[in-house]
Amino acid sequence: MTFSLNMAFSDLLFLLPEIFLTCWLCVVLIVDFSLPRFPKERLAYLSVAGLLITLGCLGWFDLHHISGTLFGNMFVLDRMAIFFKIFILGATILVILASIEYVNRFTLFRGEYYCLVVMAALGMMFMVSANDLLSVFVSLEFATLGFYILVSYLRDDLASNEGGLKFFILGVFAASLLAYGISLVYGETGKLVFSEMASAKPTPGLVIGFLLICASLGFKIGAVPFHSWIPDTYHGAPTPVTTFLSIAPKAAAFAILLRLFLVALATFKPLWVTFLVAVSILSMTYGNIVAIAQRNIKRLLAYSGIAQVGNVLIGLAAGTKMGSDAILFYLLAYLFANIGAFAVVIAVSQAIGRDEIEDYRGLNRRSPFLAFAMLLFLLSLAGVPPLAGFIGKLYIFVAAIHEGLYTLIAVGLINIVISMYYYLIIVKQMYINEPVDPSPIGISSPMKAVIYVGLAGTLVIGIYPQPFTDWVVSATVMFANVIGPSATAIPPDSISGG
Amino acid sequence: MGEYALLYILFAPFAGALGLIFVSNRQPLLVRSIAASAAFTSLIASLYIFYAYDPIAGGFQFVQKFEWSRQLGIALYLGVDGIGTPLVLASSILLFAGIFVSWHIKDRTKEFYIWLLILAAATIGVFMSLDLFFLYFFYEMSVIPMYLLLGMWGSHTKKYLEMTDPEGLKRRDSVGFILNFGSNSKEYAAMKLVLFLSAFAVVALMGILLIYKFSGLNTFDILVLREQANLMNIPALGTTLDKIIWVLVFFGFASIAPLWPLHSWSPVGHAAAPAATSMLHAGVLMKLGHFSIMRVAFEILPETTRELMPIAAVLCMFSIIYGGFVAFYAKDTKYVIGYSSSSHMGYVFLGMAALNYISLSGAVIYMFAHAMATGMLFAMAGWVYDQTHSRDIPSLGGLANKMPFISACFIVACMASIGMPGTVNFIAEIMIIVGSWNKYPLQVIVAMLGIVLTLAYLFKMMRGLFYGPMNQKYSHAHDAISTVDRLPLLIMISISIGFGIFPMHLYDVVRSGVDPLVARITRVVPVAEIGERLGVRGKSATPQEAGAPLAAHKATSHPPQVSREGAE
Repeated sequence: MTFSLNMAFSDLLFLLPEIFLTCWLCVVLIVDFSLPRFPKERLAYLSVAGLLITLGCLGWFDLHHISGTLFGNMFVLDRMAIFFKIFILGATILVILASIEYVNRFTLFRGEYYCLVVMAALGMMFMVSANDLLSVFVSLEFATLGFYILVSYLRDDLASNEGGLKFFILGVFAASLLAYGISLVYGETGKLVFSEMASAKPTPGLVIGFLLICASLGFKIGAVPFHSWIPDTYHGAPTPVTTFLSIAPKAAAFAILLRLFLVALATFKPLWVTFLVAVSILSMTYGNIVAIAQRNIKRLLAYSGIAQVGNVLIGLAAGTKMGSDAILFYLLAYLFANIGAFAVVIAVSQAIGRDEIEDYRGLNRRSPFLAFAMLLFLLSLAGVPPLAGFIGKLYIFVAAIHEGLYTLIAVGLINIVISMYYYLIIVKQMYINEPVDPSPIGISSPMKAVIYVGLAGTLVIGIYPQPFTDWVVSATVMFANVIGPSATAIPPDSISGG
Repeated sequence: MGEYALLYILFAPFAGALGLIFVSNRQPLLVRSIAASAAFTSLIASLYIFYAYDPIAGGFQFVQKFEWSRQLGIALYLGVDGIGTPLVLASSILLFAGIFVSWHIKDRTKEFYIWLLILAAATIGVFMSLDLFFLYFFYEMSVIPMYLLLGMWGSHTKKYLEMTDPEGLKRRDSVGFILNFGSNSKEYAAMKLVLFLSAFAVVALMGILLIYKFSGLNTFDILVLREQANLMNIPALGTTLDKIIWVLVFFGFASIAPLWPLHSWSPVGHAAAPAATSMLHAGVLMKLGHFSIMRVAFEILPETTRELMPIAAVLCMFSIIYGGFVAFYAKDTKYVIGYSSSSHMGYVFLGMAALNYISLSGAVIYMFAHAMATGMLFAMAGWVYDQTHSRDIPSLGGLANKMPFISACFIVACMASIGMPGTVNFIAEIMIIVGSWNKYPLQVIVAMLGIVLTLAYLFKMMRGLFYGPMNQKYSHAHDAISTVDRLPLLIMISISIGFGIFPMHLYDVVRSGVDPLVARITRVVPVAEIGERLGVRGKSATPQEAGAPLAAHKATSHPPQVSREGAE
């Protein structure tokens, strides 16, 4: 392949959000350094303003269906990329708002915190546009770099340092797997761009190469058996960083996985379906069963996150246009519920200083609002109607049943019941048990805003999902051509298999 | 207003719950009156649909359809037939009565009414859903409020208090707690109920998803799907697919009904629940099971139903006898009523299993009748518990002196529960027994025995509570004096006796729903009974009419990929 950089100036329009955000990042850094008196809290609002402007720009892109590729197909701006960029920016804004109070716990570098968060978001924006294996590697490392620092931001906290170290060592290991996998794939096919790989033959070297790439991406989304870093890192990291880590990199990695499986590997579908089914079953079952035994709410949400990834993988295993719609929709539902749940965790730990599940005793007496919000977020995660999570799960199951993945759906359904147990244990602590210390818990206004956004998202998507399904359906429109229509009205011979 | 009546019934409680969020707990009267007026709106509208329902036309009436998700083929499709109408009415009567029964709840009043209203609205939603998705949606939605209602306002059983160990708190939070069958705390009851019902709900959901897939229509619309019914004879796993789906749907929904041996969540749940919740729970929540089986299994898989319904006929005997004997030996008022409910639900299964016009109509009327009778019993058990803080029958006694009104009502409720002539239960029971005799004589004998058992345990409980020597510990107990306290009982008694004496409209409405269903299942044309009496034949069973929804669906809907490109 040849690398040509002869492009029109107007092509840079596709990069406008990233370019603008980079400039804004510099502005935030300069303000932080040059105006030492400038309150750090306002830096947060400054970053949010930049993110909002970028969001507006992407919204304009989405409305006008702007799409195209840059740098010899390395960077693609299509509707799915725009969807994920909006998703990541939304998550970043909510995380920054939820951090404002928490940042006071850091002894040093409070201003840089916001810059690092925006930088990670920038990296993920490149990730979702990555259209060949090289840009996957570069953007993935770019995004992860910010997280390495963010996870160990509580310098005096051993758990935070431990989590950071584990994340770093395993992250670098995953990166090396990715690099090795890319080299194998390039060696076998001589191609790097996803869409050009579709015609390759499955030689052993190619299969191993793709398995290595999948392992590395599995590490990013935290699917079993690549999940071992998740509990300690989630537990140790500052809670807003955990929030960010639990949603944005997963979404970005799913964007890459979608492109990889549905574009590059579309012709090998029979080969990878079994693999994905196995990973999905393992993730759901392991995540849910281990979550039951957790005493710390961050660890519990970490394991529940592993299980949720298993659920999303059902949609990927379906491997159809509808499956990708379902993945996008599920992630949208997961975004609101998960950020909301973590926001409540942050608010409670601001007041109590601990994150044990026992500390939620009688939360309903201490702060009815927080308890009610947490209840809805947890029920949405569990998949209870009329909340967003239920529609997400149903969408995924419907997509999978069209492909005849019966075993996978049965396991997914059983897992809903298992997960209900541990979510309800938290509900029991909040609502049924009486508080040890009945003093009310106050909430800061940015935090309240985050929780309100989470509640609104969870309820609106659950009660009236039509606009959101329309959005995700139009976002994945490019897969309709690659894979062809999903098999719908087929009277199959048997229902064995799955 | 007429055509929107279902929306009022369904959304008034939701609106009430939403409104309550903005009211402070410091104004309990305002909280109660908002809840009561929401329930009242619902009640008036359901009375309206009950009397405005036209049994001659039959079929689904007051239909409302709003597209909800094009991609998944879901519409908020509401409508009631002759089976749904009485159950909607029963739900809103019990909700209205339940609000007054729980008038004296002081702890977190607002939250209590919010969850109670959501519970009732979700239940009502199931009874009027014509879309499989929404049927499941409301079904699952009705389970979760039970957790909070039981956990926050429920009560432990006596045994539990004896068994609490010094480390009780720790153990109650542990994993092993869920397997600790001895403890019967309210938390245990709540968790067991939710997990049990959810576990079986997902079994039913699996069946629903299989129906969705193998119909190949990309819709959850029951009226469309039922035209596709017998195309599911696809061989799978050594039998045919429709049998697998039927078993999934039947047992998934039978758990809430509760059919033996899936009943174990129910008495524990009844015992732990506050009075109003027990009322709704036993009165209407359990009927969700029978109703959903009729709506999903009977409507969509009629042939399979005819083949496999004998399963229910066998299991219902165990339900009746087992529930009856346990109720006879139970010492806890709510356990007696809880087991009696699960025993009585066996009659409904018997009526459903016999699959003829008389028995199935009897089953539907029995659901309505049982809702009133058991609602009264639970309301009064709740009143006695509120006054004495005891549900232990041997320790109570002689309360008739202290509460003459309650004890008089209790006798009426017992009579209704037994099926005395003059109450609507009698009509229902006689229809089930007469209708099932030809097909299942053994089961009918068992059901007769069940009636004798009902008589025995209810009279035993009545004697234990109201007669005999009085326990001086409870000398402060007093009667229901105020209108607020008497109103719910009076409503339920008058409905029970009123329909017992004038059952014709109820019967016509139920027959208009049952007739086409039985005709579809048994392929026997109904004896034109309503038609003859009223002069016209019900026309909903005619083939042209029946095929109409499928044709309409095919005409209006596109294959999914077309509509997706259209969305771009």
